[in-house]
Amino acid sequence: MSLYERVRDVIATTLKVPAARITETLVQEELPAWDSLGQVNLVMALEQTFDLMIEVEDFEQLKSVPAILAYLDRQGVR
Amino acid sequence: MANARPAFDDLFAHTSRAALQADLARWPAALTLPQAERLRAYALALGPATTPLRLGIVHTYTSDLLEPWLALQAALEGFELQAYHAPYGLALQEATPGSGLVTHTPDLTLLMLRRDDLHPSFARPVVGLDDAAQERVRRECVMRLREIVTTFRAQPVGQIVVTLLPSTLPAALGQHDAQAESSEAAWWSSVKSALAAMLRSDCPATTLVDLDDVQAQVGRAAFFDRRYWYSASYPYTAAAALEVARRVVAIGTVLKTPRAKVLVLDADNTLWGGVIGEDGMEGIALGPEYPGNAYVDFQRRVLGFQQRGLILAMCSKNNPADVDQVLSDHPHQVLRDGHFAARRVNWLPKPDNLRSLAEELNLGLDSFIFVDDSDHECAAVRHALPQVQVVQVPRRPVDVPGCLDHVARLEILSLTDEDRAKTEMYAQERLRRELSEDIDRSGGSSTDYLARLGMKMRIGVDPAAHVARLAQLTQKTNQFNLTTRRYDEQRMRQFIDAGDTLVMDFSLADVFGDSGIVGLAIWRRLGGGRAELDTFLMSCRVIGRMAESAFLAAGLRLLAREGCTEVIADYLPTAKNDLVREFLPRHGFAPDGAGRWTRSLAQIPEDFPIEVTLASDAPAPTAIAA
Repeated sequence: MSLYERVRDVIATTLKVPAARITETLVQEELPAWDSLGQVNLVMALEQTFDLMIEVEDFEQLKSVPAILAYLDRQGVR
Repeated sequence: MANARPAFDDLFAHTSRAALQADLARWPAALTLPQAERLRAYALALGPATTPLRLGIVHTYTSDLLEPWLALQAALEGFELQAYHAPYGLALQEATPGSGLVTHTPDLTLLMLRRDDLHPSFARPVVGLDDAAQERVRRECVMRLREIVTTFRAQPVGQIVVTLLPSTLPAALGQHDAQAESSEAAWWSSVKSALAAMLRSDCPATTLVDLDDVQAQVGRAAFFDRRYWYSASYPYTAAAALEVARRVVAIGTVLKTPRAKVLVLDADNTLWGGVIGEDGMEGIALGPEYPGNAYVDFQRRVLGFQQRGLILAMCSKNNPADVDQVLSDHPHQVLRDGHFAARRVNWLPKPDNLRSLAEELNLGLDSFIFVDDSDHECAAVRHALPQVQVVQVPRRPVDVPGCLDHVARLEILSLTDEDRAKTEMYAQERLRRELSEDIDRSGGSSTDYLARLGMKMRIGVDPAAHVARLAQLTQKTNQFNLTTRRYDEQRMRQFIDAGDTLVMDFSLADVFGDSGIVGLAIWRRLGGGRAELDTFLMSCRVIGRMAESAFLAAGLRLLAREGCTEVIADYLPTAKNDLVREFLPRHGFAPDGAGRWTRSLAQIPEDFPIEVTLASDAPAPTAIAA
């Protein structure tokens, strides 16, 4: 499973939306379920899934699929 | 790669929610949110069908993020969570008719409060306050919480569950706090006791879930996630959230499932390690060394459950003499013969033994929790008696002492003197049965037996001090109950206070002991010389002693003295109260042609082998409320 596919599944499960609604270019505004609360939930799910400790300063950055993929790449997640 | 941790995917091998839950309770790592979500879906699919658990949440910190954990714990208990989150803040406007909370018709209303919701003084170090100020803050906290709970209580919001978030900061005085005269920890624990005492006396159907204890269990460092707390006002780590959710859902389980009353314990590899019939007194594991120490601890734990009011019974495939010897002679055996209300030590199938235990104890099988180590016995009981909850004792001795801790139905919401004394009462019942059998054998009659008991009935009239017990009786009496109307403490108190209702209860003492309060009648005065019987019930443990007849007659006499000439009563059949189908006709009631029963008060029988006293010295309701 590619990194994108794993991220897609985390977003889908956490925000309770069909995986088909998620694309590699998706940004927060395009998905109503991805609200501020969904954001906190998603950060929590990402760090637990990828065994990371995400700093609170980075919470705000992770608001699109490309941003999440780039962040994971910086953290050395492959 | 060496990895001693059990694999997460193994959890999906479980075929029952109970087994999945038991394994999860011992799970060594924190679950992730996606894992929780997968487990929830799996638990829901396991069956049997779920029922809804309707939860209302009033919160002064973020509550939404707790929901996945609540939903998981609900699913493990066979519930589908339906949660309503009130708007953020201490939303007292939700305690009004037609509010979102009230229209959600919650089973439970969870109050997620912070300490400073109770008093602004929590914003600063309490050590800075002098004694008088600390005392004042304590009093004001109690008043504030009473006001909050009472406001919600006035609406139909179900059981109220109060939680207070622990302080996110350690004590102002650091390590010295433990020893300081002005210790914050000591002060807070005194505040908490005062709050608890207030909830006990003034707030019916309210439960305090102690988050300090959750914090102690998961560990202070593992309880708060400061990143979420400071960025999103959400305090909990996954481990804390899972445990908070477990405790909240457990309250729902206690309210919505049949009450657990009997703990039936296997002996070999449950009360001790090994098999007494093969290993002998010297060979079984029971004592100060590993693994015997784990079984000693388990037995101590079982004594704790007895204190909650559970009756202990034993069901073991063994030669009775072998088990007797352990119970009477083993130096490290904690549970002795007198702890068990009944025993089945034989080679019969366990489902048969459970049926006969239910008959002897006069309790339904759905109030049984069966504890056994064997795959085979657990499966046999699950299959033959699906209404019995089965707990399988873990294989590793170190897991044994805690194996009942996660069983939600073993939690209690209140504790009465009767609960504490229950096994003792059932042991007295065993002696009565033996006396009755002796008299039978010597050719005596049942009248001889009743006369020998020397029974004394004490009847309470509008007994305000017994509210908790009486509400509990309406909740759990199924068999000897004419109308099966369930009342909470608040409703019961209204009956007692109201002038048009007469509440009577009784306890029954005999040569073997005192039953505690076991019967309740609620009469409604209709005027015009008539009264109706709203509720008439009796615990099955005093059945067969004419107590019900004497109690009814005492009520009729009291009403007659007030000028009443006729009473009306109902028998409302349920699946469980067939026992009282003939009660009304047998006691002089005749059908009124419209489905109800009436009785004139012209003649009231008096000849019972029971000495009846009316407790007119019961303290007045106002004296109790003060």
